[in-house]
Amino acid sequence: MAKQTKTDNTAAAPGLGTGKTPASMSGGAASPQERPQAEGQQESEQMIHLIVFKLGVESYAIRIEQVKEVTVTPAITRMPRTPHFVKGVANIRGDIIAIMDLEDRFHIKPAPLTEDSNPNITYTLVIEARDYSIGVAVKEMPQSLNLAVSKIDRAPALLQAVNINENFIEGLAKTSDRLIVVLDMYKILTQDEISELTE
Amino acid sequence: MKSREQEYKEIFIAEALEYYDALNRHISTLEKQPDDERTLAEVFRLLHNLKANSKAIGYLHISDVSHKLETAFSLVRSKELSFSDEVVTVLFDGIDLLGELISAIDKDEEKEPDPVLLRNLDIIVENLSESTIELAKVQKYSSSKNLSLSELVYIQIKKLDHLMNLVGELMIDRDRILSLSKELGSNELKAVSSHLYRITEDLQYSVMDARLVNIGSLFNKFPRIVRDIATAEKKEVDLTLSGQDIQIDRNILQIMTDSLLHLVRNAVTHGLELPAERERKGKPRAGKLRMSAQSDRENVLIELTDDGSGMDFKQIKRTAVERQLVTADVAKGLTDAEVLSFLFEPGFSTAREVTEFSGRGVGLDVVKNAIDSIGGRLTVDSEKGRGTTFTMLLPTSIAVKGALLFEVDEIFYAIPLIHTQQVVALDKDEIHEIGEVMIANLKGENVTVVYLHELLNADEADMRLGDKDRLKGQVQNIVVVAYNNRKLGLIVDKLYRQQDIVVKPMSKPLDRIDLYGGVTLLGTGKVCLVLDVPATTRYFMNRRQ
Repeated sequence: MAKQTKTDNTAAAPGLGTGKTPASMSGGAASPQERPQAEGQQESEQMIHLIVFKLGVESYAIRIEQVKEVTVTPAITRMPRTPHFVKGVANIRGDIIAIMDLEDRFHIKPAPLTEDSNPNITYTLVIEARDYSIGVAVKEMPQSLNLAVSKIDRAPALLQAVNINENFIEGLAKTSDRLIVVLDMYKILTQDEISELTE
Repeated sequence: MKSREQEYKEIFIAEALEYYDALNRHISTLEKQPDDERTLAEVFRLLHNLKANSKAIGYLHISDVSHKLETAFSLVRSKELSFSDEVVTVLFDGIDLLGELISAIDKDEEKEPDPVLLRNLDIIVENLSESTIELAKVQKYSSSKNLSLSELVYIQIKKLDHLMNLVGELMIDRDRILSLSKELGSNELKAVSSHLYRITEDLQYSVMDARLVNIGSLFNKFPRIVRDIATAEKKEVDLTLSGQDIQIDRNILQIMTDSLLHLVRNAVTHGLELPAERERKGKPRAGKLRMSAQSDRENVLIELTDDGSGMDFKQIKRTAVERQLVTADVAKGLTDAEVLSFLFEPGFSTAREVTEFSGRGVGLDVVKNAIDSIGGRLTVDSEKGRGTTFTMLLPTSIAVKGALLFEVDEIFYAIPLIHTQQVVALDKDEIHEIGEVMIANLKGENVTVVYLHELLNADEADMRLGDKDRLKGQVQNIVVVAYNNRKLGLIVDKLYRQQDIVVKPMSKPLDRIDLYGGVTLLGTGKVCLVLDVPATTRYFMNRRQ
């Protein structure tokens, strides 16, 4: 039901997009939907804007500030002799960036294909790190979500049980119908992780 | 196109006028604060440069006046001449005279320095502070000076780098538009895009041209350096330079500076023999060191040749065996070129045995790495007792280079032409499995060949580089690359034409993967990986062991 929240114009015409973040394009569409959950909070409650995507069967999210744009994954050129989770490089608006597969990265079992999913189309979240960009490929169209900060549980005890290095997890967000793992992409891209690529 | 000479002259004038402006500024400061050491030192430096530059280009009257002023200021500096009113007037006049002489060259006029003023300069220098002799009045000829701005602008290399990057981006888009216009079949778009093509090409060459400097700007520093090293080593060295007016990208020359210094120092310290030893060998006392540059198609070839003792092949082999780079059996059969290639092995050179006995090759891997980093090639040739030649083939420009395009497993790759030696098509039967590798005979030379698909894509545990069965098809396209005095044939799936590519460096986090020198976008919008030949060769050598 949340599919239409995704930015139609980026998804439909990735090559011609304007490079705007999903926030500027989809924020309006997404918030009415998820707002009921947030509206219970006081007006002054601090909100957090997330881009939600699926890895395996679970939902994960990245803060919107870390996402530069969302686009249909362009043709990826495989790069031999790079770590398994690097799918290759792709040309996104003239920039050639590395595309990562987080399922591979965290050894998450891919979800079984459903009838309405099209395995030929994937989406790429372009993450803007301090001095470079990197793409994260996901199978389903990412969604935009506004959430009260208080909905995010940062309890470390909880996080340790998760099969992903806890450093990468900012917290767990609860909505009425699902649990979302909020990732800190900057931490995933820290130096010691990158050096793994040189193997 | 202006002649080189005209260009030199313009640069000289622009610089000289700038010196003149600075001198005027500084002397005004000095008039108020005669003890300002820094300003004094600066004046001294400016005059000294002006003297040297004008002498080099043949404007002797300017160098003469500069020299006299320099002497006067050196006396002021050593406090032998006080900065009195009289002296200041003469110095001001002298600097004005310099300005006029410089402007005269600009206007192609012949102008002689005012003899009265020259005499005044001599007087203040010779009589020091006791000015008993009356200084003659100099006719003030420059009461109404013309203000003029320099014809040259200085620009930070960083700005030119940025400009070059932008041109690179533009070229990629241009190629894309060109290929789109062909796909769409619109004649109008075709016309516009071919115009765009010409303009960007012009722009590219203009920006590249703006970054070029004369190799002489580096070469000309060496006579002094060589003299100093030779004196310290008690050797006699006869240095000859040639090709100083060959032009090369400033950043490439910058990267080459240390390498060239390193090689020259090695040549004088370890290559050339002491005068007495040379005489015993029947060579002239003074060792010959030749540094030359020449254009080689799109590249620049720099050679450094000495007629010293040459490399000690036996010692190199011994060390290579000791360091387990090669087995003793194999070492016996190596060609000279293969033996010399050990010199570039990391750490090889730092071995004490080598530095003490054969002596050559200190830190050559550092030189090689510097040249690799700019996509150049380093080779060495040596004959025992006769001397050694280092040859450096450098690209004229960093960003744009000619490359050979090919395909392996449906991925596009490019190899810079500077590393490719030849391209051959061989029948599968002409490739032989020998040991763990494949060998092909190319024009009488046995060259190791490797199937790039196997090297790049096979599971590392199951990689069989010596297995011909892994080859596809009967006819094999081989790109022969040269690196480190060795040749390696890369078998590719499909061979395309060569073309100029703009190499974009790998962006993080992939920049640490050294197998790739970068990426480029083809006109079709497809990404093409630029293989780094040194890293590919290294990877192959490691896999083979």
